Amino acid sequence: MSDAYKQRVQEFDDLLNSTCVDREKLKKFAFEGIPEGAGRRSLSWRILLNYLPEERSTWNGVLTQQRKLYQQFLDEMILVSHSEKIVEDHPLNPNPESHWQSFFKDNEVLLQIDKDVRRLCPDISFFSQGSTHPNVSVVKGRAERLHQRVQQTRLNAQTIERKGLGMSKLSLSKKLAPESYAPLEDGEAHWEIVERILFLYAKLNPGQSYVQGMNEIIGPIYYVFASDSNVEWREYAEADCFFCFTNLMSDIRDFFIKTLDEAETGINGLMIRFMNQVKIQDPKVHQRLTDQDIKPQFFAFRWLTLMLSQEFDLPDVLRIWDSLLCDETRRDFLLAVCTAMNYPFTDVQIILSKAASLMA
Amino acid sequence: MLVLVLGDLHIPHRSSALPSKFKKLLVPGRIQHILCTGNLCTKDSFDYLKTLASDVHVVRGDFDENSNWPEQKVISVGSFTIGLYHALAMINRQLNCDILITGQTHKFEAYEQENRFYVNPGSITGSYSPVGEDKDHVPSFILMDIQSNTVVTYVYQLIEDEVKVERIEFKKNGNANAEVN
Repeated sequence: MSDAYKQRVQEFDDLLNSTCVDREKLKKFAFEGIPEGAGRRSLSWRILLNYLPEERSTWNGVLTQQRKLYQQFLDEMILVSHSEKIVEDHPLNPNPESHWQSFFKDNEVLLQIDKDVRRLCPDISFFSQGSTHPNVSVVKGRAERLHQRVQQTRLNAQTIERKGLGMSKLSLSKKLAPESYAPLEDGEAHWEIVERILFLYAKLNPGQSYVQGMNEIIGPIYYVFASDSNVEWREYAEADCFFCFTNLMSDIRDFFIKTLDEAETGINGLMIRFMNQVKIQDPKVHQRLTDQDIKPQFFAFRWLTLMLSQEFDLPDVLRIWDSLLCDETRRDFLLAVCTAMNYPFTDVQIILSKAASLMA
Repeated sequence: MLVLVLGDLHIPHRSSALPSKFKKLLVPGRIQHILCTGNLCTKDSFDYLKTLASDVHVVRGDFDENSNWPEQKVISVGSFTIGLYHALAMINRQLNCDILITGQTHKFEAYEQENRFYVNPGSITGSYSPVGEDKDHVPSFILMDIQSNTVVTYVYQLIEDEVKVERIEFKKNGNANAEVN
C-alpha cells in the first residue's frame, strides 16, 4: 500500500470521525472515490444523501427517531394482517371502498416489484442469500411474506388411486428444480427485504407508485448498507436504506414520472442536453450517431434513468456512485460521465477522470 | 392465500350457466387456487375455471366427462392438509387431513369435529340433486383465506336473488366461530 494512499485513508477517517463532518469537504474527498472497508462508504453515503446531519452529536437522536418511524410504517402498512379487518367485508366485495379492493390493487404493484427484485444483480449471489438481520415478525410467521401475496404457484397435490378393492396408493408429487431466487425456508433473503422497502415506498407515494428501474436504483444503496462490516450499522440497513432511497428519489423522481417526460427536468430534456454535450465534446461521435440515426433513447435513456447502475459491474458502479452522489444536482456529473463513456469502454477510473475534466 | 372451493355445476345438463350475480363477483386476478368437488361436467366449465385462476384442482364426480381426473386428492396449503373428494362416502378414514372438502349433496355445510373442519361448498348453480330430502337447492360456493394457522371461510349463497355472505373461522387446534351478517 503506497504512503500516499495510506495518507488519503487516514485523512478520510479523520474527517468521518470528527465531531462535525463537513459535508462539502466530504464531497471533495468522496468524489475521488471512497476507500474500501471499515464501513466508510456506507457512512459517507448516509451523509451525502442527507440522511445523517453534519453534527455527529445529533446522529443518535436522528437514527433512533427515523428507525422508529420506519418500524411504525411497517406495522401500519405492511405487516398488518388483512384477515383481522372488518367482519362485514369479504374478498369478492365489488364496493370500491372495500379494503379487499385496495388489497388487490396493491397486489398489482407488488407483482411488478416481485418480478424485478428477483432479478437484481444476478451476477452476484448477494441478493439471493439470507440476511443476518431479517424482520422478526416475518421470520416467526406472524406476518405474511409479501411475495406469497402474488405468487403464481401450483399447490402441492397428491392423487389417490384405487385399484379395484385393493390398497389405495398415494402418488408422489413431482419435484421441481429449485429456483435461484427462491424464498428461504427460515430467515429472509436480501431480495425479500428490498421488496418490502420498495412496496412501502410505493404505498407511501401513491402518485408515483413503483416504476420499473427503481429496483436498480435501490440495489447499490442496499448492497452497501447491508454489507457494512460494522454490525451496528448493518442491523438497520433496511430502515436506513429506505430513507436514503427516498431522499435520492426525491432528487431524480422526475425521470420516473411519465407526465414529466417532456419537461425540462424530465428524461427527454436530459437526453437533449446529453446529445448537445456530445456534439460539443465529440463532434465525430455525434455525427456518426446522427448518420446512423441512433437516438439517445436507445442507449442513454437507460444510462441516465438508472444512474449507470446497469452498465458496469457492481464494484465499478459503487465507485461511480461515490462521485455521482457528491453532485447535488444529480444530473451534471452524470451527464459528464455519460459523455465520457462514448469512448471505448476502458477502465472506470479513466472514464471518471475524463468526466471530471469535462466538468472543469 | 385465497382458495376458491366450488362444485356440482352440472352444466349443461341440469343448469345452463352460473348465476349471473356469482359470475359478476368472480373476476380474474384475485383467486390463486381453485378446488373443485367435481360434476362440472364438460371441458367448457373447466376452461372457465382456468380463466379465474391458473391452478385448478378437480376430483371426478359421477357425471364428469373427463375420466382422467382422480377420485380423491390430498392438497397441502401452508400448514394445512386438505382432502378433496366428490362424495363423503368415499373417504378413507386413515387419511390425516385438517380440512375435508366434499360435494355431491348440493347442500352447503361446514362444521368442525375432532379438530377437523368439514366443508361442502354446495352446488354453485343450485342444481337439482336426487340425493337428500331437500330438492330445492340454494346456489352456493365458498372462498377460503388460508393463513399460517387460521382459515377464514367466506360462504356465498344466492338467497332470493341476493348474494349473502357468511364468515366462518377455523383455527388449527381451536374452535370454529360462525358469524352471520
